[in-house]
Amino acid sequence: MSTSHSIKAKAFLKDGKYAEWHDATFWGVRTKRDNMAFGLDEWEQLREKASAIKRHTISHLDEYLEQFAVNAEANGAIVHWAADAAEFNKIVYGILSGHNVRKVVKSKSMLTEECEMNPYLEKRGIEVVETDLGERIIQLKGQKPSHIVMPATHLSHDEVGELFEEKGISDEIGNHDPTYLTYRARLSLRNEFLTAEAGMTGGNFGIATTGDIVVCTNEGNADMSTACPKLHIAAVGLEKIIPDYDCLAVFQRLLARSGTGQPTTTYTSHFRKARCNDGEFHIVLVDNGRSSWIADPDHWEALKCIRCGECMNTCPVYRRSGGYSYSYFIPGPIGINLGMLRNPQEHSGNVSACTLCNSCQSVCPVKIDLGDQVYKWRQKLAEYGTASKSKKMMCDTMSRAFGSESRYNTATGAAHLLNNMPHGLVHCGLNPWAEGHEMMKFPKKPFHKVFEDLEKEDKE
Amino acid sequence: MSAKQDILNRIRAGVRDRHDMPVLDDIAAVTYPDPLAQFVKMSEAVGGRVIEPAAGEDLNSLVRQLFPDAREIASNLPEITIATRNPDTAGSAQALDGTDVGIIRGEFGVAENGCIWVPQAMKERAVCFICEHLVILMPKSRIVNNMHEAYKQVSFNDYGYGTFISGPSKTADIAQVLVMGAQASRSVTIVLI
Repeated sequence: MSTSHSIKAKAFLKDGKYAEWHDATFWGVRTKRDNMAFGLDEWEQLREKASAIKRHTISHLDEYLEQFAVNAEANGAIVHWAADAAEFNKIVYGILSGHNVRKVVKSKSMLTEECEMNPYLEKRGIEVVETDLGERIIQLKGQKPSHIVMPATHLSHDEVGELFEEKGISDEIGNHDPTYLTYRARLSLRNEFLTAEAGMTGGNFGIATTGDIVVCTNEGNADMSTACPKLHIAAVGLEKIIPDYDCLAVFQRLLARSGTGQPTTTYTSHFRKARCNDGEFHIVLVDNGRSSWIADPDHWEALKCIRCGECMNTCPVYRRSGGYSYSYFIPGPIGINLGMLRNPQEHSGNVSACTLCNSCQSVCPVKIDLGDQVYKWRQKLAEYGTASKSKKMMCDTMSRAFGSESRYNTATGAAHLLNNMPHGLVHCGLNPWAEGHEMMKFPKKPFHKVFEDLEKEDKE
Repeated sequence: MSAKQDILNRIRAGVRDRHDMPVLDDIAAVTYPDPLAQFVKMSEAVGGRVIEPAAGEDLNSLVRQLFPDAREIASNLPEITIATRNPDTAGSAQALDGTDVGIIRGEFGVAENGCIWVPQAMKERAVCFICEHLVILMPKSRIVNNMHEAYKQVSFNDYGYGTFISGPSKTADIAQVLVMGAQASRSVTIVLI
């Protein structure tokens, strides 16, 4: 019954100390979020409003997208529409090659990850430099993000220190102090900002009434990426468009508090225009499946996500299995759901990574029914041909047992005989119930018999 | 058909129920008896420093006093006479690299989170980020309680860029250790005027 997630999780858990640290680290972020949430009386009201705004916006997305494009173009931005990842990559490459760009500095964007833009551009001779420190670290390490907000948290400061030594970023061998390493990365990235011909950002929000792209960072790397080069490209998923500033205020208040437990990100930056007369500001609106997901009655609300990452921090399975145990590039509860929307055949191995505790949906700032959605995906696995065969067999067997009183009574009456079976036989690989823990002991007297006897006693 | 029309058509075909926009005016947002005191508290909590100069104190000597080792000071504010660089006349954003102190103006502050609204007011906005230390002059009479009030006040000029800044650039990307001074200014000093 092992799923792709459970197999990788098992490997993750081999290093018990590391697993414990990982669990505690992300639970620490959840605790910080709670401090923020409990500090505002209107917190639950904000979540309620945020959810309602998103439901409204997504169900009127055609109108808001058109309004956004009109206003962004009126500001002088050049708006592109990309149906899928391939088209997105082609558009970005077209803009960059049209300006003879050899190097682009880039702030964090899960969308460019989704479209696998970096390898596409690199293959065509354009260097892409990630400028969020965490993203830069995993880029140098040749890895993928293990979390959408804290992409390199799985690495220790020693691992980062050794990486920086190897790449010539730090020159004091053996100095793995995070402050020193951050400073060395600052110097190295400063040089990249100054020499790149283009800057790329994602977009946390696009504002329909004003045409603004809003980007939230703590490092200021989106601002550095766009304050030096003259060309700015913003990659924005369709669902990031929201109506106006009144709505933005609601999301701005929720985003950092939920994601990292901060009252705000350091920078909440609004981009309307190219930064100078001879510069250009391009906005690429990317569909890549989103417009079709709107039609899914069970799962369209996954589009409400503002990518705060809190569902990962709170998830007992994510905390104890790490981002790399999931097959989709976004891990955790939202990643399970987005992966299934993307390709259920490929990502069914993640739906087991959920205890249905619903911690995720009780903290999600836009109230996505994350756990309920996972449950719904599980009901559809047979349809996708990805249901577990042994589980199916067990369910069929149980249906037969529970479907007939005599079969049920025989089974429960005889179950205790298993208690006396040799340990090795019960704990062999064939019995999934004895995996990772001792097999339960069956009572000699089944519950319904105990109940019957008690009732009799009562009458007597 | 264009990608745009394709996308819009798919959305129109896919949407099942059109949900109403919620009322937002009834949000019982936090307010403070003393918004300025709260703003100062939050600014410090996010790693900033707040200074209220004495009446008649010269801003130039204040900056000198705060940053005695600063060699390159960049500002386009008329009252700052000690600037060695001007972001309006700098040949490029790159020319502002190596700025020790950047001095800019903020329009208003937000009590709940220490944000300061900074619309671009210079040719090279890099000055706000590229400097080692950022000084923001901000009117203490202009503090709003929360982001709902803040977004009713933001205004832009022809530069078409503005940002809320709350404290110095920071990161915890290495082993979750908080470090001030990631890619932008390593410290922020707010001077209340």
